[in-house]
Amino acid sequence: MIRNRRAAALFLLAAFAPVLGVPREAVAQTQGAPQPANPSSLPTRRASFAWDNTLLRAGFSFRDVVDKPLAEKLSSGLPNVILMRAYVFEEGRSEPVALAVRTCTVTYDLWDDIYRVRVSDPNGVRNVPKINVDGVLRECAEAHDLPIVDRAILEKGHPHFLGVLVEVNPISPAMLQQIRQWVQRPTGSTGINPGDALFGSFVGIFVRQIGTSAASLSFRTQSFTP
Amino acid sequence: MRARFAAFIAAAAVVVCGGAAHADPIRTWGSSQAPPATQGGAATSAGGASTPPPPPPATIGTPIEPVDAVPPTPASSAGDTEAVVRSPGHVGLRYVLEGIEVRGNTATLARVVLRYVPFRSGDTIDVDDSEIELTRFRLLGTGFFRDVNLSLRRGTHRGYAILVITVVERNTMVLNDVWLGLSADAEPNGAARPLTAYGGIDVAETNLAGTGITLGGAIAIADGQLALRTRFADPAFLGTSWTAEAQLLYNHARDFFGNEDVLVDDPTQQVTQDFAVANYTRFGGSVGAGHDIGVTTRLYVDYRLEKLDASLPLAASDHYGSEIVPINFFILPGSSILSTVRATLIHDTRDEPVLPTRGDFFTLVGDVSLTPLGSDYPYSKIQAHLSHWIGLPWAGHVLKLDAFAGAIFGTAPVFEKFYIGDFTDLLPDRVLDLNFDRRSAPNFLNNDISEIRYGDYALKLSAEYRIPIYRGTRSIYGIDFFGAFGVYSVADQNLITNPPPGYEGLAKLPIDLTFNFGLRADTAIGGFMFGVSNFLGFLPVRGAAPQ
Repeated sequence: MIRNRRAAALFLLAAFAPVLGVPREAVAQTQGAPQPANPSSLPTRRASFAWDNTLLRAGFSFRDVVDKPLAEKLSSGLPNVILMRAYVFEEGRSEPVALAVRTCTVTYDLWDDIYRVRVSDPNGVRNVPKINVDGVLRECAEAHDLPIVDRAILEKGHPHFLGVLVEVNPISPAMLQQIRQWVQRPTGSTGINPGDALFGSFVGIFVRQIGTSAASLSFRTQSFTP
Repeated sequence: MRARFAAFIAAAAVVVCGGAAHADPIRTWGSSQAPPATQGGAATSAGGASTPPPPPPATIGTPIEPVDAVPPTPASSAGDTEAVVRSPGHVGLRYVLEGIEVRGNTATLARVVLRYVPFRSGDTIDVDDSEIELTRFRLLGTGFFRDVNLSLRRGTHRGYAILVITVVERNTMVLNDVWLGLSADAEPNGAARPLTAYGGIDVAETNLAGTGITLGGAIAIADGQLALRTRFADPAFLGTSWTAEAQLLYNHARDFFGNEDVLVDDPTQQVTQDFAVANYTRFGGSVGAGHDIGVTTRLYVDYRLEKLDASLPLAASDHYGSEIVPINFFILPGSSILSTVRATLIHDTRDEPVLPTRGDFFTLVGDVSLTPLGSDYPYSKIQAHLSHWIGLPWAGHVLKLDAFAGAIFGTAPVFEKFYIGDFTDLLPDRVLDLNFDRRSAPNFLNNDISEIRYGDYALKLSAEYRIPIYRGTRSIYGIDFFGAFGVYSVADQNLITNPPPGYEGLAKLPIDLTFNFGLRADTAIGGFMFGVSNFLGFLPVRGAAPQ
């Protein structure tokens, strides 16, 4: 029964996301996205939790997902995406009961010398200019009062925690498939027999370099009890 | 005959000249283009017209100057403010592309990198354009680079930008294949030998002198046999989207006919041998072109010309069921010419090349021998091969279903016929068209498949089950245990219309079983397969032919 209620809650979350104010692109980013396989065993990171009436808000930092090369890449003039997914789990279970998503797209404006940041999260979509990388990270690699879940969805008296996945420049499954198909095709493999394809095997070596993102980070928070 | 061979040499020279022509500089994108007029959209810009561009950062590799640059048109203040375009509702910016700069390329020519870049100087580049990210993967897909990064820097005027492509090169000498195995062959005088070793290697330089051209070679050796290949491939021939290929081949080959009790006429006497031995050499080559038909499909067309020289027994005969019949060596004695055109269609939707978990790999190959152009072997051949991978819902297990069908119409030379060892896992496959083994089919079902070695029709259905036993991210990406089972048939017209005497009922159907099991590995230097069936093939489990 409880399991069914959770499934229904997730379904309703997805179905009514636009009505609830979750941006469509944030929902799209989560489609086909991996969940933490064993969330309770992830490294623990402190988070702040607060109740805003019945709405749970959380604050935590994931600045370490952006290392020095990635920080430099933020100034490349091309868009960089920092995607954070915070799943709500009940302790002892591996199926999430709720999900909050934040997508941050950072583009350095070469001529105005500022970082144009587009944030999409449960609060809506907003464009925020930042003058330096530190400002970008404060906006995109930290969560402050992030709306997480309504208390009604949670099992009262049971401890819960957040399992957080952060990815930098994630690649959608559809594009990943297209890239892999494009990359792995051998150059000049006209032969039908194994011995005929002189150049048939080497390109596959490089397929492995194409991960699903440039960097990723996952952790869990301490427990909270609704 | 010599004239026809000279014609082939002339054709090969044309190919070589074509390759040399390609070494010249190709087009310079945008060199004659002025920056286009500003595209539509909300034009916003702060700061007026003349912000001086910053000096270019230090260049890691060559060239320092943008390799594809167009000087911006002297801009009016109005033009300056319109050059930066912001899409309403998006962070996305657009710039006029002033040039493209390639860095980090110490061996690879900049023009080779630019082949994979769909932008030109003067284009308006939208930073949200997915083509930018795809360009990175196109460059990684060449195999020339360990890493590729794209960025923009200011151009010389407001609203202009230079696309910077930074590459980290990698070793492009590739080991494609290694063959080692044991076979049972025969002495030159036809006496059977229990075991001999064979081996071969296939290497390629995939970025020859930084031009993006592949030059490879392969060699296979066995006792009294030698095969050599050299192959040239240019994935962007003359800067086009066509792939060009050329190959030279030489085979000094030996093949074995009969089944341990043959009569052979040599010039002096008639003798009884275990096997009749045919010796032949092949020298020639092929030229071809290929083109993409969509993301997953590619079409190739090749022309091949070869000169064959065969040394055959004057006559030989063998058992065919309970009868004695002459042996057909499927190659003309003395010198002959083979001239064919081949079309190959490849459709590939696999998710991985070595250990796929889903998708299809389909090849359709058609050959036509050009007898009007001098070929001595009038035949046509068609082959279709489909492999389908299904990811199973438990623990990463994968099921592969495989089907092959082929038919030859006419008189094909022996190395073009369907060989029994290419369909059973218990005999060595041919390597570079060399046949190392004299044995007939294992014949688990005790039927007339033991009477055939080379056929005109072939069919194989098989399934393979894979169980992952290791997954890694560094030098070894994955190791799977596999078990495969299949059924196959090889036949010719005579076996169908005139079955060998002594076989009755279902024994007239030339069908056999095959199996294999072992490990498949996906590693940083390529894919490997370790199967045990080659060794199991030496166990005496064969059905006997009627005498």
